[in-house]
Amino acid sequence: MIDLLYAELKRTWIQFIRYPTEVISGIVIIMAVFYGLFASAQYMAGPGFAFGDRLDAVVIGYALWTLIISVNNDIAINLQIEAETGTLEQVFLSPFGAPRVFLARAFASLALRLVILMVVLLLLMGISGSRLAFPPTLLLPLASLLLAGYGLAFLMGAAALVFKRVQQILGIFQFLLLFLLAAPLEEATGPMQYLRFLLPMLPSTGLLRDLMARGLGLDWVTYALALLNGLVYFALGMLVFRWAEATAKQRGSLSGY
Amino acid sequence: MQIARRPTETWTEHPSPGSIVLDTRDLSKVYGRGKQRFEAVKQVSLTLHQGEVLAFLGPNGAGKTTTIKMMAGLVRPTQGRVTVAGEDPHRQPRALRHIGAVLEGNRNLYWRLTPAENLDYFGVLRQVPRQLAHRRGLELLARFGLEEKRNTPVQKLSRGQQQKVAIAVALIHNPRLLLLDEPTLGLDVEAGEMVKALVRQIAQEGRAILLTTHQLDVAEELADRVAIIRRGRIIAEQSTEALLREFSGSTYHLEVDGELSPPQIHTVTQLGATVRGTQITYAGTPENLYALLGALSPVPLVAVQRDRADLTQVFLKLVKDQPESSP
Ligand SMILES: Nc1ncnc2c1ncn2[C@@H]1O[C@H](COP(=O)(O)OP(=O)(O)O)[C@@H](O)[C@H]1O
Ligand SMILES: [Mg+2]
Repeated sequence: MIDLLYAELKRTWIQFIRYPTEVISGIVIIMAVFYGLFASAQYMAGPGFAFGDRLDAVVIGYALWTLIISVNNDIAINLQIEAETGTLEQVFLSPFGAPRVFLARAFASLALRLVILMVVLLLLMGISGSRLAFPPTLLLPLASLLLAGYGLAFLMGAAALVFKRVQQILGIFQFLLLFLLAAPLEEATGPMQYLRFLLPMLPSTGLLRDLMARGLGLDWVTYALALLNGLVYFALGMLVFRWAEATAKQRGSLSGY
Repeated sequence: MQIARRPTETWTEHPSPGSIVLDTRDLSKVYGRGKQRFEAVKQVSLTLHQGEVLAFLGPNGAGKTTTIKMMAGLVRPTQGRVTVAGEDPHRQPRALRHIGAVLEGNRNLYWRLTPAENLDYFGVLRQVPRQLAHRRGLELLARFGLEEKRNTPVQKLSRGQQQKVAIAVALIHNPRLLLLDEPTLGLDVEAGEMVKALVRQIAQEGRAILLTTHQLDVAEELADRVAIIRRGRIIAEQSTEALLREFSGSTYHLEVDGELSPPQIHTVTQLGATVRGTQITYAGTPENLYALLGALSPVPLVAVQRDRADLTQVFLKLVKDQPESSP
């Protein structure tokens, strides 16, 4: 399993780095979007307004959003491309079984995206003067967030296996996620206060913002719920992915047929 | 029943020669439902032993690819069962350790990676320890004459080289069964010959090989046994030799070096042969052939040859003879 993880990391890295123009343009796009978001947030807030930790909260939301969607895209789009080109069947010939291989791929993709994201975040903190905190406890809600994020990645992967063309689904999905992650729903009142525990990743993003932007400690009860949320979405993703694998084998559609 | 397996296999070790590597029973596949319903494969039963090469021969759309993918666990059979080295690839992913496959089309590899990187990656994906995978990869590249191309991205290689790398990748985990779907399709003559030579070499190591092809010469040159499939059903399955013999005529052509004497010509004609100069044609029983040969003595023989069908004739005959819905 360690070997598999290492092999996936290496493959992901080589495929990424072998065409440097793609790498650079990718980073430039993320940077530009981030910067635009900042600028417009500051503009809307007005110069005299103390935006403070509100802005930081938005940054964190947006950063997590890019992280989650890039892992999701890596899994789903690559699955679709590989089905079209033919390597997917070779991957399904692994005695590890497809779920484990794709889990390793999701980890590799996350590692790569996390590195890019850190670079972008540091640059942005420089530009915006925003000061985010990185206490070690943030690893806990990050883990529960990633569990749910992987669950979603497997759901998207399942969609790619069954429907073949996932671009539209991914587009809608990204939009919904942006809504979910960027908006600080943990500050909501009314039914949303409770409903957010049912939506994927939301309890975790709330906690991350507490830790990184609001200077609060970790609320363990909320964290237990966030972890449960992560586990449930992860399990759901795995289940649906297995179903999709069986369906694709049934239809004979692992190749581009 | 569980058979204990040694945790490490060495490169050439293959337990019990002649053992059954692949066994399928009544494999059937129905694609789609209702109006779309299509029976692509019908009750295919095959057995393949260690060291044997079986060619799966049939026209386009006959169901070859579907069958091979059912064997590899990539397409779920509607009915029937597959066992590879005693394990079912549809139930136990572990069974895939015994299977290497090169599927139709030119993309069994990551095009952005080099041959060496592909071998490293797929080795680990097939559960070979990383170091060992790397070593085997280098060995295979050397054996396949690809050392110089080791660090060239696959997309820059020729089609023939890509196919060789794909075969090397399929062997990285030392599988007992190698499945090759149209291995020479789309290759130029030279590359095709190269791949054929490679297949022969691999069979000699004692692996079982199942290859599909719609090219008769490929089957004739490589296979110990041929299964002819048509509209999803196997209509003939025999050793290549037997199949060719069965469909061969019983006419012999003889050639001698020098003139036959008039009494010799008389005897030979009595035995039912016709003489035209140094050429003799004989269509009698194999036993009388020896009497004929005796009668020719002491004139030196240049050639004795039996009319021989090639697979093209066999194939055309079978495909024509079979009624539309044979049982
Ligand atoms: N995934 C699929 N869904 C529906 N029909 C298929 C699928 N794969 C193959 N077929 C059909 O099944 C038949 C057999 O195809 P295939 O196994 O590819 O034949 P061959 O490899 O002998 O050319 C063809 O008529 C083909 O159109
Ligand atoms: Mg085919």
